[in-house]
Parts: sequence; C-alpha cells; structure tokens
Amino acid sequence: MRAGLRGMGPLLAPAAILLALLIVLAALRRGVFTLDELNTDAAAAMTLILVATGETIVILRGGIDLSVGGILSLATAIAATRGAAGPLEMAGWAVLILVIGAVVGMLNGALISVLELQPFLVTLATWSIVGGTALIVLPSEGGAVPGWWVDAGAGTFAGLSLAVWSLAALLLWWAWFRRTRLAASIRAAGSNERSAFLCGVALGRMNVAAYGLSGLFAALGGLFLTSQTGSGSPTVGNDFVLPAVAAVVIGGTVLSGGRGGLAGSAVGAFILTIIGNVVFVLHISSYWQPVVAGLILVLSVLATSLGELAMARRDAAL
Amino acid sequence: MSGKWRVWRSTLLAYAGALLIFALTSLYSPGFAAPSHLRSLIVVSAFTGIVAVGQTLVIIGGGIDLSVPWVLNSAAILVTLIADGANTPLVWAVPLIVAGGALVGAVNGAGIAWAGIPPIIMTLSTNTILQGLLLVATGGSPPAMTPHVLQVMATGRAGPIPVILLIWLALAAAATLLLGRTVLGRYLYALGTARMVAEFSGVPVRQVILSAYAISGATAAFTGVLLTGYSGQAYLGMGDPYLFTSIAAVAIGGASILGGNGTYLGTIAGALVLTILTGLLPIFRLSNGALLVVYGVVILLTVSLATPAVQTMLGRLGARRS
Repeated sequence: MRAGLRGMGPLLAPAAILLALLIVLAALRRGVFTLDELNTDAAAAMTLILVATGETIVILRGGIDLSVGGILSLATAIAATRGAAGPLEMAGWAVLILVIGAVVGMLNGALISVLELQPFLVTLATWSIVGGTALIVLPSEGGAVPGWWVDAGAGTFAGLSLAVWSLAALLLWWAWFRRTRLAASIRAAGSNERSAFLCGVALGRMNVAAYGLSGLFAALGGLFLTSQTGSGSPTVGNDFVLPAVAAVVIGGTVLSGGRGGLAGSAVGAFILTIIGNVVFVLHISSYWQPVVAGLILVLSVLATSLGELAMARRDAAL
Repeated sequence: MSGKWRVWRSTLLAYAGALLIFALTSLYSPGFAAPSHLRSLIVVSAFTGIVAVGQTLVIIGGGIDLSVPWVLNSAAILVTLIADGANTPLVWAVPLIVAGGALVGAVNGAGIAWAGIPPIIMTLSTNTILQGLLLVATGGSPPAMTPHVLQVMATGRAGPIPVILLIWLALAAAATLLLGRTVLGRYLYALGTARMVAEFSGVPVRQVILSAYAISGATAAFTGVLLTGYSGQAYLGMGDPYLFTSIAAVAIGGASILGGNGTYLGTIAGALVLTILTGLLPIFRLSNGALLVVYGVVILLTVSLATPAVQTMLGRLGARRS
C-alpha cells in the first residue's frame, strides 16, 4: 500500500496543477467537464503527448533527444506530399514514415553508444540533418494529405475522438511496456549506468532501442498532426522539442534519469495545452501563454529540487 | 599533458577545416576570397563568435545556456525602443541593456547553483518567459529604427578592417585571458571537470556558476545590440538561429559538452566554419534545408573525431601504416 502510494507521489503535483487549471477554466466558462471538452483538449495535446512519450523513455535512460523536432517535421512533410494517395498507398507511406523515425532514432542510439558521444550533441546534429531533409522534401508550409486521412483524424467512435482512443491505447501500451525487461534496463541505466552494466544490461542495444522508440513516437506524432491540420510544415517540429522536454519534466520525470513515467508526461502535456485555453478565456494577449508555461516549468522543477535538497539534508542529519 | 594536447589538436583541426573549406570554395568561385566578401564573412562570424563567448564559458563549466535567443532578442528590441533612432541615449542604454542581460544570466545561474535546477530546464524557462514577455510588450510587432552609431559598429570599417572585427578581437582576448590567466578561468575548468572535487577543493562553485551565466547573458545582450546595427532594425525571432550556432561553434571548436575542456580560440574556428558553410549556399545553389544537413554532418564529424574511441582507432591505423 505504502509502496503504491509512493509510486504515485511524483504524479500528485502535476495532477494538482492540472486540476487547478481546469477549475480556473471551469469558473470562467461552461462545459469544461464534458466529453466534448475532453475530445478537443486531447486532440490539441496528442501530438505533444506522442513526442513526450519518446522523450520520457530517453530521459528515463538519462539522455535527451532533440532530433524529435526534425523527425516530426519530416513526417508531416512526407505525408503532406502524398495528397493523392489511396488508402493502401497511404498506409504504405505511413509505415515508411514510422520506419524512418525509428531508424533515425536507432542511429542516434548507435552513435551515442559506439562513439561514446553525448546525446545532446548527437541529437542536436541529427535534428539539423533530418530537419534540413524535411525542408528539401517540402520547402514551405502547405501540401495536403488525403481527405479521408483528415476525416479519420476528426472521426469519433462511441462519442470519443480519435485522440482520446489513441491516448487510451498509449497508456495501455505503457502499462505493458513499463514492466518489460527493456524498460527495466532503461531505468537501471538511467539511475546508474555502471551498476546497470555490471548487472548485465547490454548498454549499446538498450540505447538503440530507447532512442529508436523515441524516433518512432516522434514520427507517430507527425502523422497524428497531419490528420488534424490536413497539411505539412517542414519546421513545425521545432516548436515541439523543448515543450516535450518541459512536459516530461513537469510530469515529474527526473532529468537525470531513472525515475518517472508516461502518465506524468501526459499530464504535463495537458497542463501546457490547458494554459493556452485559460489565457484565451481570460481575453488577455495569447502571448502570456509562454510566460505562464515557463513559470510552471521552473516552479515545478524548483519544488522537486528543493524537496530533494531537504531530503538530503535530513539524511545527512540522521 | 595529453589532455591539453588533445584540446589543442581539436582546435587546430577546426582551423584547418575552416581554411580547407575556404580554400576549396575560393578555387571553385574566385569571388569568395575577394576582400569585400571576406569582410562580410568576418562580420557575420563575429555575431556568432560574440554570443559564443558566454556559451563557451558556460559549457566549459559543465552547463548550457538555452536562454541565448530571447536575451539577444530582448536586448535588440530594447535598444531600438530606447534609442528611437537617436545616438545619444546609447551612452547609457547600451551599458544598461548589457547589465540587464547579465542580470538574466545571474538569475539562471542562481537557479542552477543554489536551487539545483538542471541548466537545460532553468535556461529554457527564462528563454520562454522572456519570449512571452517580449511578445506581450511589443504586441508581436516591434517598432523603431536602429541608431546610426550601432550601424557603424556592426557594418562600418576602420580602413580595411571592419569595426566589429576589432570589437570581436577585444572580446576574444578578454575571454582567452579570463580562461587561461584568471582564477575564475581555473575554477571554471575545475568545475566542469568534476564538480564534487572542485567543491571539496575550496572552489566557490556557486559563485563561479553564477558568473559564467551572467557573462553569457551579457554577451548575448551585447550581440543583440550589435545585430540591430547589422540588420538596420530589430525584429522578433532574430535571436532564434543563435541557439544552434552558439552551441555548434563551441562543439566544433573542440570543447566537450560535458565541460572541463575547450578554448575560446577553438570557438572562433567553430564560428568561422559555420559562417563559411553558410557562404556556400549561393555558390552551390544549396537550399536552406541542404545547409542544415551540412551543418549537422559537420557537427557529427567534428565531435566524433575528438572522441577517445575514434582517436584510438585513428592511432591504431597510423601505427599500422608506420
């Protein structure tokens, strides 16, 4: 019981922030706690949630992945140049896009392991390379995905939007994934790389898998985004890189690795999305959104970090 | 000793790389080495180089400064707003704005050093907050023209030498002296190598972190001021490219992103490489996308060449040949 509660501990703060934001929103306008609202908000947050899923895995490992920005852009760019594709052809392209994302991620992981390079620099470089490729594929914003693709993105089933169903599927997947050997190795290496290695974790393979998953989820995020916007943008991914890291960190995953999870990151992504709604309802300049997002980010990390400092001091006193 | 040699070798490699790309391009397109073009390359490099002064110090100390873009942008907007095209207000406005940049940097440093917030998160937050505040304050469309004096500083010449090159050289000398000849410099290398060891050896770790970020805020703000002189105006988003280029210049110059080594001389080479590559754009009719690809490949190549794994591999190859 206690262990279970402690496991939920890091989730409490972000969940409280989200609830507070929702209550503020509910005081300002009607219809906040409805299915419609859930459908809209989930659709608005889902791309960020998908990118943050991959980022969560990589940060749990103690790394960081900046290349998700390039991969997301490239995914929308490729999808948006296939406007005339039929369902079967488009499915093929979608698979190809996911494979590209996964392969770029696996290359990141391989470069990090084999050459012992720092994740920040490797993924900064591949962000540039893949983002540049996106600009070559689709030089400016626009293009179009097939009409039925957008219809599917706007479709609902049993009153719930595609985004809500995807979120449910994602959380189910995570409930399975977090118990796998791979997830255990990722956490172990994130807490202490050396002891993980000594316990038999194959660090190289684990890096390739972790960064590969990150790339895959970024590509999935790009595909989802095109189903909402109907078009592509060769630079849109750049707007998701740092918010994805922010969502993960607000959600209670520790940047140095080892501790955290997807549920927190999803809450973090919802927080960043709902801030926009609150700012909109308040009829103040929408430019206040980044200010509030930045403050929440730094305050939530400050709370964690001060808590840890206090704990260390208590331990030292004992 | 061998560590020092490795840093020097990667610095030399960066200069050799810059020279090689420059020479090859000049052969292909003779106008590339013309004095006027050379001058414009130097002017453009100077902006990256000056922002990267602070980024170099921060990275050597084991941190990273992601707040560069909007500190730079805020400074640029503020200087045009305050001066409103006139030269005289600059006398007090420029020092004030640079001090403001240092203050933002100090806030970064304080959050990192005293509150234990990871550098990525702290500087990312200040960047986002500044971006929002600046957008709110300007309503999304900044006004005003750049004062003449700033245009002279950014694009003027003293004889054949661009004024900004003189400014850059002065700052480069200052940065090199600071890193090599001052206590703060020693402390930065110690901090970046092993924080715990530095702390137990009596390095005032927190004050050193604060100083490095404050300097980074100041150089970013100063670059913002100069950049308005170059572009003739301030606009929102003008700082965005400098996040990537400032970090890339330091990395290409041979500093480890984990801290503890690197020189400002290396960073200068990095800034030159990045600018020369941009110069290839019109000559080879490269698109912006292709340039980004080239940037990424160059960063990957230079940082892999400096890794122990590749070094030993190259060493083994060399041994076999001899």
